[in-house]
Amino acid sequence: MKAPPFAYVRPATLDDVIAELAGGTGDVPSGKVLAGGQSLVPVLAMRLGRPATLVDINSVAELHGFEAIDGTGAGALRIGAAVRQRTVERADVTRAVPLIGMAMPFVGHRELRSRGTVVGSLAHADPAAELPAVAACLDATIEVAGPAGRRRVPAGDFFAGAMTTGAGPEDVVVSVDFPAARPGEGFGFAEIARRHGDFALAGVAAKVRVGGDGAVAQARLTGFGISDRPVTRDVTDLVRERDLREAMTELAAEVVDTAGDAHGSTGYRRRLFGVLAARELAKARGRAHTSAEEATR
Amino acid sequence: MSAPSHTPAHHAATRPAPRATKVAAHERVEIDMTVNGSEVTLRVPPRVHLADALREQLGLTGTHLGCEHGVCGMCTVLVDGAAARACLLFAVQCEGAEIVTVEGLGSQEDQHPLQRAFSAHHGLQCGFCTPGMLMSSYDLLAGCASVEPEDLPVEMSGVLCRCTGYRGILAAVADVAAEHPDGVPAPRNCRPRTLVGRGGPAPARAGDAVPEARPPAPVEVRLPSGAPSATVEVRTELGVPVEKAWEVLDDFHRLAACLPGAELVEVLGDDRYRGRATVALGPVKLTFDGLAHVVEREGRRMRVLAQGADTGGSTTQADIRLRAEPTEAGGTVLQADAALFLSGRIAQFGRALAGDVSRRMFEQFARAVEENARTGRAPAGPVKPTSALALLAGVIAARLRAVVRRIRRSR
Repeated sequence: MKAPPFAYVRPATLDDVIAELAGGTGDVPSGKVLAGGQSLVPVLAMRLGRPATLVDINSVAELHGFEAIDGTGAGALRIGAAVRQRTVERADVTRAVPLIGMAMPFVGHRELRSRGTVVGSLAHADPAAELPAVAACLDATIEVAGPAGRRRVPAGDFFAGAMTTGAGPEDVVVSVDFPAARPGEGFGFAEIARRHGDFALAGVAAKVRVGGDGAVAQARLTGFGISDRPVTRDVTDLVRERDLREAMTELAAEVVDTAGDAHGSTGYRRRLFGVLAARELAKARGRAHTSAEEATR
Repeated sequence: MSAPSHTPAHHAATRPAPRATKVAAHERVEIDMTVNGSEVTLRVPPRVHLADALREQLGLTGTHLGCEHGVCGMCTVLVDGAAARACLLFAVQCEGAEIVTVEGLGSQEDQHPLQRAFSAHHGLQCGFCTPGMLMSSYDLLAGCASVEPEDLPVEMSGVLCRCTGYRGILAAVADVAAEHPDGVPAPRNCRPRTLVGRGGPAPARAGDAVPEARPPAPVEVRLPSGAPSATVEVRTELGVPVEKAWEVLDDFHRLAACLPGAELVEVLGDDRYRGRATVALGPVKLTFDGLAHVVEREGRRMRVLAQGADTGGSTTQADIRLRAEPTEAGGTVLQADAALFLSGRIAQFGRALAGDVSRRMFEQFARAVEENARTGRAPAGPVKPTSALALLAGVIAARLRAVVRRIRRSR
């Protein structure tokens, strides 16, 4: 179907973007940010949304930034709001954040990743989306700009519910910083969908860090498609001391709270989560050991 | 005018950003782009997507349209060297872009190796998905070192074939991949020429938009037979005595004031109410006109049937049971069970999200009830529609539900 009529604005500066987004009043829907449009345009085509104005941010030079940056102690990968998923997927610099590389093939299809943006995925906050889960698992930092200025929001605080985030309707998400992997860290990622590229029925992202003694120092697990937002748990103790399958089955009962639908019951999603979580945590642990060994060699 | 080179896939990121611009909804804007090697200028309103612009303005009907919301892949074209869904890209976004359609891939006299392979492997079938399959496979094999045949089903999963003729298609792609390990040759039919539209309906002018008619308002709630699309069970504790909480629920005006995004429009009598509710969720915003009918009231229990329809043809019905019980601590447990029936476009957005959103809305509703019971009036200001309560409660009308979703992705 065709999108309803909308005005189209393509500002050249971030200030102008913010000014355009602040334009709505009362019942008149305000503007929506258009970056890649791979989530927004289907919403328009199905007439589930009728924004008065689309504010295309692709001409804002600042939002095309894509680079490794130095943080305090460790580096990070900063991805601007206009940077395409495919660009990130294919760039050498992305190897600094292995979990992105693992997740990206599951993000829609090639044809969607060529237009879709990494930051757009975060801003859209679909509960079954991969990149919000990656951001949550790595505790990425999301920079938001609005009429009140700029602020940096930890991913753990950013996702507020299904398609709802800490960014308000007058805000634009500027960039995201993913922490670079350090020696001794290993990652895992998997999802199950009806067709490759569709929304996940359930999926997991895992991060394990081992210490100098080879013991697991920290383990984090993020589930997606299982609740109204990515759900992250510190599972260090479980990975250290428990049978993983049994521990993840118990965890699934706690964290998988989404309702069942025609494609899978809650119970089926719990089972998927438990199996995937145990498998990917084990892989992440193995990779963490390999990473630690390579670092000391 | 220069023939397009074999553009690297990351070209999209390197093209200088087009100039700043501003276009009103019904205004037509001039867009310059290169299509199959020809420089063209289109004049379209912002809402026209690239596939329609190619088909109707330029007569390039090789680009097919199936679902028009990004699922089927029929409309796949190359934009700045990378495959993209032409239905998920507005023409106005393509200022300065270089587009290659299936017409540019090869000509009847000089077919591209992919086109010859599709024919040789009986990968054409009815032909409807063929342009999408060709452009997607070109994107896969251009500049790609190697693709293993066993990876092809996943790599080609972005385009659907309704004939289910995948075996021939995948065999054709595998064949070309093996023949051209360093990447397939560039498109063969991109050169300057005159592109002329082939008619079709004239583009809409300003003021042509016809407002969508709203469906007539029903006076009875009819629940569909069959299993509901989703069921929701939620319970929440309120810090007010059960008598106070029930006073709010028992008075439909107060109850409606607690419904996020809802508005009581008319009291029809016989415990029937007409209302309007807005559900807003990310980019999704639906406004439902509807009806709620309280069919049972007994003690601190009530059953409400509700239905709503939005202008886009989505309809929802709900069978809602509300119950309030005292807790030992002097508070109230509010429980809601709802069966939801979704139809129309909204149903495609169903997924488990419907239950999740409904639950969140119920929690918002419950907090509003608590405040209303405590203060004797509705919460400061109307409850924001960020989540309408849908189903729930009873209410109202319209209600509805929520849900939403999109298809994918880009997530």
